[in-house]
Amino acid sequence: MNIRPTSAALILFFAATIAFFSVSAPRFATASTAENLMSGFSFVAILAMGQAFPILLRGIDLSIGAILALVGMVVFDLTLIFQIPGYIILPVALIVGALAGALNGVLIVFLKLQPFIVTLATLAAYRGLTYSISGRQLVPGLTTTPIRDPWITGIETYYDVGGWLGISKLVQMPWFPLSFFIMLVIFALLQTVLLKTRFGRDIYAVGGNYEAARLAGIRVRTVTICAYAIAGACAAVAALIMVARFTTATEALGTGMELTTIAAAVIGGVSLTGGIGTMFGPALGAFLLGAILVGLTLQGVPQFVQQIITGGILLAAVGYDRLLLLRRRKRFEASIAETQ
Amino acid sequence: MSVEEKSNDRRDFLKAAAFGSAAVAGTAAGMFGAAGPEAGVFGVPRARAEGERYKMAFIQWQPHTVPAAWSKGIEEVLAPQQVVDYELLDGQNKVEVQASLMETLISQGVSVIFLQPIDSVALAPSIAKAKRAGISVITLNIDATEPHASHVEMNHFFGAMDIAKTMGDAMGGKGKVAILNAPPGIIIRDQRTNGFVEGMKKYHPDIEIVADQVADWDRKKAQDVLNTILAANPDLGGVYGVNDSMALGAVDVAKEKGLIGKLVIFGNDGEVAALESIEAGELTGTQYTDVYQQGRLAAAAAVVLATGGVPATAFEKQSHLLMPYVIATKENAGTIQPSQRW
Repeated sequence: MNIRPTSAALILFFAATIAFFSVSAPRFATASTAENLMSGFSFVAILAMGQAFPILLRGIDLSIGAILALVGMVVFDLTLIFQIPGYIILPVALIVGALAGALNGVLIVFLKLQPFIVTLATLAAYRGLTYSISGRQLVPGLTTTPIRDPWITGIETYYDVGGWLGISKLVQMPWFPLSFFIMLVIFALLQTVLLKTRFGRDIYAVGGNYEAARLAGIRVRTVTICAYAIAGACAAVAALIMVARFTTATEALGTGMELTTIAAAVIGGVSLTGGIGTMFGPALGAFLLGAILVGLTLQGVPQFVQQIITGGILLAAVGYDRLLLLRRRKRFEASIAETQ
Repeated sequence: MSVEEKSNDRRDFLKAAAFGSAAVAGTAAGMFGAAGPEAGVFGVPRARAEGERYKMAFIQWQPHTVPAAWSKGIEEVLAPQQVVDYELLDGQNKVEVQASLMETLISQGVSVIFLQPIDSVALAPSIAKAKRAGISVITLNIDATEPHASHVEMNHFFGAMDIAKTMGDAMGGKGKVAILNAPPGIIIRDQRTNGFVEGMKKYHPDIEIVADQVADWDRKKAQDVLNTILAANPDLGGVYGVNDSMALGAVDVAKEKGLIGKLVIFGNDGEVAALESIEAGELTGTQYTDVYQQGRLAAAAAVVLATGGVPATAFEKQSHLLMPYVIATKENAGTIQPSQRW
């Protein structure tokens, strides 16, 4: 489990990107840009960390954006149609997300289907379900009714951390959104689970070699279902953050997010061949993508060029991942040759 | 740069300089016993540097003929002002992208944001944020629940009432009509539908609306939906598509079934394909709006706000501007000039 080189390269690249835009893009190095990045991309980081779990198992979760929309619509319906208080909705949302994710896992392990196919199918199914339960379509007038439940809108709160610490007198500090702290908590939680618990070690074992893990007595099915459930729960958290931010949910919420999160995870050094990576990479990868998008917009680069550049970076990251894999293999072969 | 600073344009600077020097000279010459009316000017001029420019941007929903035409109209007005930098940004059909672009523009300190919101509620927090920063937001066609500087929209409701009137006249004041509708969830759909229903009630109470079905704004889908409606109502006399694409889908069906001339078909928008179909005698009519003009009017308002130094917080109420329109039929479609077609 050699994770250091990738992380170091990623931090360097992130720092270089920030430095580049700070010099070249007008108003990039400002408190408000930092605030925009934190409020606009913390939920992407959470999704990317969730996405990392299936990828660690050599799988993939294409339905993550659809689960986000589904949970968002459940929250929308429960608040605006059924008037259920927010403190009940919050856990319900997490459960719905986790169950939707777990269903992916169940289909994968019990029907022995490819994760790509299963989650492609549930991507369509969950999105369709979102439309069919949409309170926006069922009850006229709700499209223009914002959600006002303080338990939900309270997620969109900003803290003047700089002011508390007294730094604001020296430099202008961004206000930190609560979503950023939620992201940090989830990061700490999942990183601990991954590196310090038996379940975490099982994930790496199953992702590294499924058959060997199974023969070693690891309950590979349970591990897989749990991994997809975590991805679903992360999507639910992201949905809550988005609903709080927009004070509504739309049926199309999170469309295309699966690709962004896969990109963030891969850029973050989570290997598509499974078993390699931590939570740090996907989280930083999401902010890296965010910094690039914001920086290029400030530079006035047209958006289709931005998409090309993002694609290029993703290709480079996959290539780098491949390079590391080949190097590992060579080293492994060399060490075997030595022992013989 | 703060909004107040922006409010001082070059002319203020010159005026202040002139008054200022006059006042200084006058005081020096002992001409004023007390401070003259010009004295107040001394506090004002924090002059806008010469050559300073205003930045404006339009966040569209997704690439489409309508926002493209708006953007063209906006540019036509902004470019000759010589002091405005303008860019078109794409919302990629995602509220999160639009919100993120809004935030980027706010931290860039633009003067005015043109916005075609994907959702009236979802963009409201971003609009509130822009307002706090003193940035005027002008929405196009789709209003937001958060009050902002101005909303410039096609005349959806009253236009649809006029469509109903003209359509009923063409049908001889009686018969059955069907509505090919957009999916629920967008305000303009309700306006275009309710206006039509109200118009029929008011002008042609004998006409019955027998079907109101969703065809997803789409020509192909409209063909399928209308075929189903016709099977149930073979004596259908008229079809109203809430956009031109769906109306043109109805034209396709009418052609196929030999109903051209018998079926009265109206659309809404006035895009070039619809006007051509009217001139060919297939589509009966549509509500035509000059969307270039809509962009120009929005841009004119924006220039007035920016150069006049009017901050977003200065508005008591959100202003509304309804676009003039024409119910285009075979008689008058020819008067719509090529340069007005989009």
